[in-house]
Amino acid sequence: MTSVEVHIEKGPPAGPPSGPARHRAPWHLRANALVVAWLGLTVAAAAVGDGLPAPRWLLIHVFLLGAVSTAILIWSEHFAVALLRARTPEPRWSLSRLALLNAATAAVLYGVTAGPAAVAVAGAGVIVAVVLWHAAALVRLTRRALPGRFGHVIAWYVCAAGALAAGGTLGGLLAAHVGHGAVHERLHAAHAQVNLLGWVGLTVLGTLFTLWPTVLRTRVPERTRLASLAGLRLAVPGLALLTGGLLADLRWVAAAGVAAYAAGAAAALLPLVEALRARRPHTGAAWMLGAGVVWFEVALAADVVVVATRPAGGVAAALEPLLPLVLAGFVGQVLLGSLLHLLPAVLGGGPARFKENAALLERGWAVRLTALNAGVPLLALPVPRPLALLGWALVLASAAAFVVLAVTALTRAWAAEHPERRALASPALAGMTAGCLLTAAAVVVAVTGGSGPATVAATGTRTVEVTLSGMRVRPAVIEAAPGTALTLRVTNTDAQRHDLRLATGERTPLLGAGESATLRLAPLGEAVDGWCTVAGHRAAGMTMRIVPTGALARPGTDTGHGAHGSAGRATSPDGNGGTAAGTGQAGLDLAAPVSPGWRPYDATLAPAPGGAEHEVEIRVDDSAVLEVAPGVRQRMWTFNGTVPGPVLRGTVGDVFTVTFVNGGTMGHGIDFHAGANAPDGVMRTIQPGERLTYRFRAEHAGAWLYHCSTMPMTQHIAGGMYGAVVIDPPDLPRADREFLLIQGELYLGEPGSDAQVAKIREGRPDGWMFNGTAAGYDHAPLRAKAGERVRIWAVAAGPSSGTALHVVGAPFDTVYKEGAYLLRAGGAGGAQVLDLAPAQGGFAELVFPEPGTYPVVDHTMRQAEGGAHGLFRVGAP
Amino acid sequence: MTWWSVVRFLHVLSAALWVGGQLTVSLVVLPLARRLLETERRGQVMRAVGRRFGMFTGAVFLPVQLGTGVAIAWRKGVTWTSLAEPGYGRILAAKLALFCAVMVAAGLHGWATGAGRPGFARAMAVSALVGSVGVVLLATALPAT
Repeated sequence: MTSVEVHIEKGPPAGPPSGPARHRAPWHLRANALVVAWLGLTVAAAAVGDGLPAPRWLLIHVFLLGAVSTAILIWSEHFAVALLRARTPEPRWSLSRLALLNAATAAVLYGVTAGPAAVAVAGAGVIVAVVLWHAAALVRLTRRALPGRFGHVIAWYVCAAGALAAGGTLGGLLAAHVGHGAVHERLHAAHAQVNLLGWVGLTVLGTLFTLWPTVLRTRVPERTRLASLAGLRLAVPGLALLTGGLLADLRWVAAAGVAAYAAGAAAALLPLVEALRARRPHTGAAWMLGAGVVWFEVALAADVVVVATRPAGGVAAALEPLLPLVLAGFVGQVLLGSLLHLLPAVLGGGPARFKENAALLERGWAVRLTALNAGVPLLALPVPRPLALLGWALVLASAAAFVVLAVTALTRAWAAEHPERRALASPALAGMTAGCLLTAAAVVVAVTGGSGPATVAATGTRTVEVTLSGMRVRPAVIEAAPGTALTLRVTNTDAQRHDLRLATGERTPLLGAGESATLRLAPLGEAVDGWCTVAGHRAAGMTMRIVPTGALARPGTDTGHGAHGSAGRATSPDGNGGTAAGTGQAGLDLAAPVSPGWRPYDATLAPAPGGAEHEVEIRVDDSAVLEVAPGVRQRMWTFNGTVPGPVLRGTVGDVFTVTFVNGGTMGHGIDFHAGANAPDGVMRTIQPGERLTYRFRAEHAGAWLYHCSTMPMTQHIAGGMYGAVVIDPPDLPRADREFLLIQGELYLGEPGSDAQVAKIREGRPDGWMFNGTAAGYDHAPLRAKAGERVRIWAVAAGPSSGTALHVVGAPFDTVYKEGAYLLRAGGAGGAQVLDLAPAQGGFAELVFPEPGTYPVVDHTMRQAEGGAHGLFRVGAP
Repeated sequence: MTWWSVVRFLHVLSAALWVGGQLTVSLVVLPLARRLLETERRGQVMRAVGRRFGMFTGAVFLPVQLGTGVAIAWRKGVTWTSLAEPGYGRILAAKLALFCAVMVAAGLHGWATGAGRPGFARAMAVSALVGSVGVVLLATALPAT
């Protein structure tokens, strides 16, 4: 005898049907059309792939939430009715649940990928409610039914519904971004496990008790009921333990749970093996179901290993590669196998049509089965990309073939149901549809891709570090000269997984915590958007933008970044650098690598040479190309080829004889604040090739500025023509280390050019520099040891801004400013800032308390972030 | 008025004849044949019309269209790589792809007619017709320069 349900599934008998049974075929027809439509969408989503927002998430949820959940809702009720020999419940309620589930699924899909998260959370709530309603309906069916042989199966369905209620709640929490980092990963793992093993796994196992013997056309084994009870008693508590263990970060609880679940599944599968021994599979449906169960076992074994060996936070990431195997091999195959067997039965229309439909759906099943199962391992194993693509092609082609056959069968059944509307299914309509679709596809191809220049000549290369962390991509904006071939080194520093995808198609793989990937971009043409494709992360703000230089500049001020770009290009000796900058303050990327071979201006201040007379030659060089910011080299006006110029140091009363030579290309002069001279003579402007002797006696102690005295002085000082004269106060105590920091403004662009002058006049520096390089001492930190007395001399060169010099983590105990001590060591007081107006100077002293890295900054934070920033690397004494 | 005008004229004329011929057969000849001729006679007439139109397609339309089309593309400086670029190249590529699809549909229509699958033959005929209207649409969308 074959099992009971075959008779029931065959639907209405020929002849005048009676009562509610009359509606069964159309009801199932409509409902299964939904499943087939979701399957079609799944195939489409997989084929479109990267073009979608959150492609991975969308594919999984279109399939599982759309196709699979709809199918489970339909079929678990159908089987429950059949097995309990119950009256078909009012289809209105079943259809309402189905409609609600589908609407909620659409809400979740929309909410997570495009819309506000609240929509997704509401959708998840509705799904949980629907599935609980479904469970209640099943329980009511059982209560009303007479006791039967197969009542035990309903318990599996009810438990599966409970699992989705839990999993859906977790999904809602994920969509609402509750919990970040490791918590998020654990939520994710629990969500995936309880939904796949619970909602899908329990339903499949429960269904197979009767479906498998039916498909094999053999009797249901005697031990089924016992195996079912034992299996459920192991699997359900196991699932609860697994979920709880993952959520609470208790690895061994989770491992025990998954082991119990696996044991339960094994127990439930025993009668299936028994049935298999009685009769070998001989239909497509049987082979597909069998293969699906084999993949389920493979995945379950891998799951046990992963849960037992990984911390709960790493489970989701470790199972990621397994997901295609579970989705395609197990869930997809079981769904297709079941539909293959069940669709002809529910499509109805009498034995002749049943045979016709079965033959249609089984057409080429051996090829489809082989393709699917050959493709599945290629999806899960780390094979080269072409092989993985082949795997996807095999799996998708197999699924698509089924969809086409199923649609044909459904259309035929529909036409049979509605002979009066047959004309709608006419060849003319089909041809019209095909033609319109073809034309629409061609038009889409024709108009996509924008109209900008497709290729841009490369003008340089540049590497930018990009970090993914805390729902942000940093830097959020990368500015680069048009044509720059950017390389992005993307690192995920977060505890949860992220990736980065650019609108131009480049993408990183999903990066675990601490993992990196490199993206090489085509030469930059138009602005490019980037974002994290993990569901919801884009909406949460994980976006970035790469813009060509100039696109950010305010309208009407084309003197800003545009000049910066062209100047950088003009003076970059290797075509590198200069032209691309991660936008921080003023468009400079201070974290960019410095040019090869760059050496910082030595900040160490040597003690005053002996003697009371000093002779120095200072020579103007106004065509030196210097590194003014990391990776940015440009022409500067200099004294002796450096910015700042040479340091003169002596004691009070020393006489300095400076031979000033104009080796430049225009008139320059020099003005020593430390001296007392009539400006008319020594500070006069001399022409290229001329020289003068500037003699002064340093009557007063202090840190003095010297600078070019030629008008307009803003341009000459901003160009880099400044330096310091340090005159030690009498009885200056010895310090272990002395440094000199001269702070100046940085104006990118050719010195004296209109663009640069405009910025100088408006007081819009591109950055601030200590000793001639913005953030230079971030890249070449200053060295000291803990416990040493460190004296930092400082001069503010301006031309327009001063400094509020501050060392993070180490207060000053001595402050000497403009010729006087404001604070001396040994007292109770301390100081946090040495404040200097433009052209003022002084020093501060401190003792680093312990080894570490101490930033030295201009605490005018805009200026610190614009480059007036360096580091002290303090070692152990 | 150069020889290039003549080439363009031939291209447009031949396309007009082909698309217009299909439209005439589908919208004028077929309905009238259905109404005025009995089944057997109708089949004869339609097969004859189909065969004649197929001969016109193979002997005149395709050679003229391909020859003049390639010549115009050469004159425009179209290259394989430029076919992928947005604008003229992309639209032309889409038009060529659609044209190929139309030709496949027309071929299938001929095969299905001979193989006695009237339903499929009719579906293919209609999709070829709609597709060729789409080709005209894309041709008008090509930038003039």
